[in-house]
Amino acid sequence: MMWSNYRLEIITVAAILCFCGVFLYTSSLMGDAEYAGSDTLGSSRAAELAGVSEEDFQPLVPQWEPPSGEIESGLFALQASIGGILVGWVFGYWKGQKNRNI
Amino acid sequence: MHIMEGFLPLQWAVIWWVVAIPCLAFGTIQLKRILAADREALPLLGVTGGFIFILSSLKLPSVTGSCSHPTGTGLSSVCFGPWITSVICAIVLLFQSLFLAHGGLSVLGANVVSMGIVGPLAGWVIYRALRDTKVNIYLTVFLACAIADLCTYIVTSLELALAYPAEVGGVASSFALFMGIFAITQIPLAIVEGIVLALVFKYIVQLKPEILIRLKVFSEGKIRAAAGDA
Repeated sequence: MMWSNYRLEIITVAAILCFCGVFLYTSSLMGDAEYAGSDTLGSSRAAELAGVSEEDFQPLVPQWEPPSGEIESGLFALQASIGGILVGWVFGYWKGQKNRNI
Repeated sequence: MHIMEGFLPLQWAVIWWVVAIPCLAFGTIQLKRILAADREALPLLGVTGGFIFILSSLKLPSVTGSCSHPTGTGLSSVCFGPWITSVICAIVLLFQSLFLAHGGLSVLGANVVSMGIVGPLAGWVIYRALRDTKVNIYLTVFLACAIADLCTYIVTSLELALAYPAEVGGVASSFALFMGIFAITQIPLAIVEGIVLALVFKYIVQLKPEILIRLKVFSEGKIRAAAGDA
């Protein structure tokens, strides 16, 4: 009875564990996999098809680039934290509303 | 799914902007209307938009030995429809082009079309097809989110294939090539994203079923039943 209330939670945890397991298994088989971003792979394939080297692609609009991977990962964390704050704030707001009504 | 800045020839960058702009304009009008009509829609928008921020920043490894990120757009599309979702996506993609060099201003139109418009639209079509059937609401949300995620990457492949047709086989063969990079990598991520967002939807149903009923996301009976026994 109690378990059936948490069916979706159990499925979610199982799916995430499966995902991690598959990653560990495939990465142990593919020793040389670089786990580069698919964006990067897509760009280099586009360069191959166009028959020019990747460095020859110039931005059409000038663009700022994070000077290092550290700074880039920090900005990604900032993006995720903005989302996390929004989600947590609203769930707390709803939870408070609900408790007041009881 | 980002096409990098400079990787679309000017004419294609312009074409995708022309497709994106009317959708964004319509989404903005819809957004204003819904927020004026129901103040409680704003917190729901915060949750669905928040998950687009979170999920699109997570780069996860996949079976193909490369990394990709989920989109998080399906939940917003189920609650608010694809046009409002396209506005939220445009904000996220603008952030990423300005600060992260992921995507760029000239290719923003193309990236909005894939992640903000066609992906969420495909998820929304699935949701609308299943909404009034007997299919479980969480299964519906799962399918809508997974399809929205996967279609985003299919559209990115198509956008690149149209701009870079292969010498032998043309657009079709370069489409297959880009699908190999983007779509195959994305399948496991799309499944996990669908499950996670279905769980998030369960919490919304439990905490705030009224707003889902008022926005007619599902029929009152279905939401009450889910809130009762979930």
